Amino acid sequence: MLATDLMHCRNVPHNSIIAIEGNKKSAVNKARFKAVLLNLLVLMVVLSSFPANAAEDKFSFDTPAQRESFLTLTAELRCPMCQNQNIADSDAMIAHDMRRKVYALLKQGKTEQEIIDFMKSRYGDFVHYQPPVTAATLWLWAGPVLFIFIALLVVVKRKSVAPPEDMAAKLAKADEMLEREKE
Amino acid sequence: MKKAPLVAIPLVLFSLLVIFLFKGLFSDPRELDSQVQDKTLPAFSLPDLMQPDVTYTPDDLKGKVTILNIWGVWCVTCAVEMPYLTQLKNEQNVHIVGLYFDQDLDPDFGTKTLSRVQQEVTDMLSRYGNPYAYNIFDVYRDTSLDLGVTGAPEHFVIDAEGIIRMHHIGDINERVWNSKVGPLYKKLVAEASGNDVKERKVDVEAVMSSNINAQEGE
Repeated sequence: MLATDLMHCRNVPHNSIIAIEGNKKSAVNKARFKAVLLNLLVLMVVLSSFPANAAEDKFSFDTPAQRESFLTLTAELRCPMCQNQNIADSDAMIAHDMRRKVYALLKQGKTEQEIIDFMKSRYGDFVHYQPPVTAATLWLWAGPVLFIFIALLVVVKRKSVAPPEDMAAKLAKADEMLEREKE
Repeated sequence: MKKAPLVAIPLVLFSLLVIFLFKGLFSDPRELDSQVQDKTLPAFSLPDLMQPDVTYTPDDLKGKVTILNIWGVWCVTCAVEMPYLTQLKNEQNVHIVGLYFDQDLDPDFGTKTLSRVQQEVTDMLSRYGNPYAYNIFDVYRDTSLDLGVTGAPEHFVIDAEGIIRMHHIGDINERVWNSKVGPLYKKLVAEASGNDVKERKVDVEAVMSSNINAQEGE
């Protein structure tokens, strides 16, 4: 619909005998095009606002702070099934169940850290988007710093390595050759 | 000559990178370390799927090596592995218990009746074979969550003391059984029956001696 409308608009000749009729047609088409566009816009707004609310609509909270905790936790906890989504985004059943569990635990008065630990004890460190510093993950932080440090060392060492005496001798030799050429 | 080792550094680094990436080609990102390995089952008290007045606790899984199979009728892979599991039960007498959970049964809305779930299960088991000694109904899916289940099918090999010895994600087919699950299961069965065998040996000796006595008596 939209594509054909656009084609119509483009095909209408503006400076010919049938221009008047053509312009009328294009005006009608433009109006229709605008209406379609508006409808699409409204649809997009409706659709995009729906899933954002869907996750929390089912739950009602005692305090705004509790609601805030729920939103942070569901954003920080990772779905074990759809591995690159957090549990707020994911529609997997396990994500539904985890949201439900987070909500239930919040209602019980558990703190955010307690809930994260609860999930970690079941699904491992994987389930939290903030990895802990362990012997295996330490390199994520230390690696770049070490790299910069070593690179700096190399650069500094290379610059200072230039032997000045050797250079002086070479210059003297070059001078000597120049002198000889002059003669 | 002195510079040779320095020149080799990028080559070595590149080789390491290639090895790392090459290994990555064959690693499974879905493979997670199970948190329940070598632990006892989490506490639960759940009804039997077919007889809701019968309740099971982790104690019911003690005394016999068990494969706890997490499944549901909505799960396609479960249907695929079911004939093989049935074959294992019939041919090797493997003790398989189902932990059933339903996808359509939303605890917040509760849209399905128990009798309908039972009907679906009966239909499926009559079509693909019934490998289960019994089915535990994880109504609210809490026990699955406690076990670290991410979907279905998943399997837990539980020894006679009720300790989880293996968490296998995915189906059990002939290859998986022969290379991974089967050997452990058989080992555990042998361990569990170790004590029984000793007792039986004593029994046999007693029987034999009494037989000899009887023969001598004749």
